[in-house]
Amino acid sequence: MRPQIIIRYMGFVLLFNALFLLISAIVSAVNGDTARLPLLYSAGVTALIGVFPIIYVPPVENIHNDEGLAIVVAGWVMSALIGTLPYIMWGGPFTFTNAWFESVSGFTTTGSSILSSIEALPLGLLLWRSLTHWIGGIGIVVFMLAVAPWTGQAAMVLYKNEISSLAVENFRYRTRKTLQILLVVYLGLTAAETLCLLLAGMGFFDALTHSFATIATGGFSPRNNSVAYFNSPLIESIIIVFMILSGIHFALIFLTLTQNIKRIWKSAIVRYYLVAMAVGVAVVSLNIWGDVYADFWQALRAAAFQVVSLGTSTGFATADTNVWPGFSKLILILFSLQCACAGSTSGGIKVDRVVVFGKSFLSQFRKMKHSRAVVALKLDGTVMDPAIVEAGIVYIVLYLCVVCISALMLTFMGIDLMTAFSGSVAAMGNVGPGFGMVSSLSNFAMLPDAAKWTLTLVMLLGRLEIFGLLMFLFYRMIR
Amino acid sequence: MKIRIKIMLGFLILAVMLAVAGAVSVYELRSVGTSVQGLLDDNYRSIEAAKKMIEALERQDSGMLLLLSGKWKQGRQTIQAADEKFTDALETAKNNLTIPDEKSYVERIHKAYQKYRLLWDQPIAGTSREGNLGWYFEDAHKAFNLVKLEVQELMAINDSAMYKTASSLKTRAHRAVMPGIVAILSALVLSLLFSYFVNIYIVNPILSIISAIETFLKTNEPVHLKIATNDEINDLAASVSNLVAMVQRNRNDSRR
Repeated sequence: MRPQIIIRYMGFVLLFNALFLLISAIVSAVNGDTARLPLLYSAGVTALIGVFPIIYVPPVENIHNDEGLAIVVAGWVMSALIGTLPYIMWGGPFTFTNAWFESVSGFTTTGSSILSSIEALPLGLLLWRSLTHWIGGIGIVVFMLAVAPWTGQAAMVLYKNEISSLAVENFRYRTRKTLQILLVVYLGLTAAETLCLLLAGMGFFDALTHSFATIATGGFSPRNNSVAYFNSPLIESIIIVFMILSGIHFALIFLTLTQNIKRIWKSAIVRYYLVAMAVGVAVVSLNIWGDVYADFWQALRAAAFQVVSLGTSTGFATADTNVWPGFSKLILILFSLQCACAGSTSGGIKVDRVVVFGKSFLSQFRKMKHSRAVVALKLDGTVMDPAIVEAGIVYIVLYLCVVCISALMLTFMGIDLMTAFSGSVAAMGNVGPGFGMVSSLSNFAMLPDAAKWTLTLVMLLGRLEIFGLLMFLFYRMIR
Repeated sequence: MKIRIKIMLGFLILAVMLAVAGAVSVYELRSVGTSVQGLLDDNYRSIEAAKKMIEALERQDSGMLLLLSGKWKQGRQTIQAADEKFTDALETAKNNLTIPDEKSYVERIHKAYQKYRLLWDQPIAGTSREGNLGWYFEDAHKAFNLVKLEVQELMAINDSAMYKTASSLKTRAHRAVMPGIVAILSALVLSLLFSYFVNIYIVNPILSIISAIETFLKTNEPVHLKIATNDEINDLAASVSNLVAMVQRNRNDSRR
């Protein structure tokens, strides 16, 4: 491994972040708020540190796979670290731990916050907070590769290390084309949602920041009461539609829009994703109707938003789910574990793995029935590679292990079981809100610092799909 | 890029970072200074004026009691002196309106004081009010309390504004210190990176050139130097390779 190559690419990551910090600083300066100097200084420092290795380290044609992995992991950690700068320089509620939590939560598109009063933040800082979601949504390195005119082996290695292993299998294009598709869909969805929200009566800043958070399946809202602030069924409906779209494989959205509108229904993964979501909404609506909401339509409205919000790992809120019955809470936790499709901006175990797990279970059942039968596992008419099936099942087991270990650690710190477990599920799936102390209309401020550090590590593990971070940390041992 | 430019750019980056950190800190510290001055000018002056008004009112109340007890000369003197003091303090408060709504507070004091003033402006000694404690408690003391209450409210809003300004000073001081801390940490990181890059791209290639020359001197094997950077070290390696090739040719020629 050549550390200087990794440092050179970190330089590009920092320059990329500096650009967005500068945009926030300009907005802050135009608005005349108190974050202009912290943002401008952060942009300057980030750019200067970023330029430094680019001056010294000459460009390379090829990078090795381990270097690609290190660049991706270090890129996330470095971005999160740089993301803390405007927060800690602005002050207020941001200690270093709080700033780190907010920054990691932003870049990993988790959407958990330590802020009790979000609206007290200046506009520029709120924009930076939303931009961390948007940068992290499709992956910092993928975003950088898509925007910068990089091609060749280096781009391919970085792309393969950044994007979900399941999503890589599903993309049938060359790296450059795939990156272009990702960028077009990402920008297209963001622009479309912003326009729709503007037409629905939202202000431009609210529309833009909510679009950033929706398309990245993040969940940061510039309002204290999240989407509940607007109390508008139209706005909620628009956000629901875009949350669902952001949870679908981007290549499939691209193909559906450019080739065949019926294509989306041919995917077994998407069919399962939509049916599961519909069943979840129906069951939760019936469960909260009467107990929490007297009116069925109110129950349906709240259930639809919360199920889709957690089921796509977005984490917006329109209702206090903490007061919902235990059954509904459990359904929401299950959706927080599963989340949406691979190849989207969603976190969690992902629908693809759940479908593979289900099919694997059924094939085992058939084998038990007919011991000599050769049962091939098929998805959309294609026989699945047993290695992918095995990797998927191992991932699910490992995922649940991380959630349990995290919950154990949090309970050891004196946090109640519901908060610890749901908080760990929310952090691992990059969902955002949990239950108990960290419910949909609450925040993570009251958790001890050690718990915040634990949860940020879990967020990074979830965003890098466990193996990435583990391989980076234990590379020598694995090699 | 040549080594000279690289080193110059490296130090330039450090210098820019420290200069910007210094500029931001100076700007924030100047803001802190301005805020402290503002705190003293705006709120403290009004609070001082309010204190003087209350003190003057207390003396007027004492003067009123002296009038009631028949000591009219001493009473009048006390009241006149306190009235001047009160009017001066009220004028100071009128000229130092810095908080929204402060004007309405000052106007309320003015109105209440005018009513109170009417009570002792009229003769007391030798009238039915002399020695009349019932009149004092029913009219005079009530009017006195009303003015005092209005003055206390003015003091309270200035106290609150002063607390807010003092709290913002804490944030300003934090913002003045942070650029320096960030610059120091960044400078440390850059220094480490700088020494690492110097080691990788300057010291190591020179060592490999030395090693190649020594190997050539011992074995007469041709020199193969691969330098990643396109700078003076690369030129040096090319020159050394040429020199070695020339020496090798001369040696071979002399052997023939």
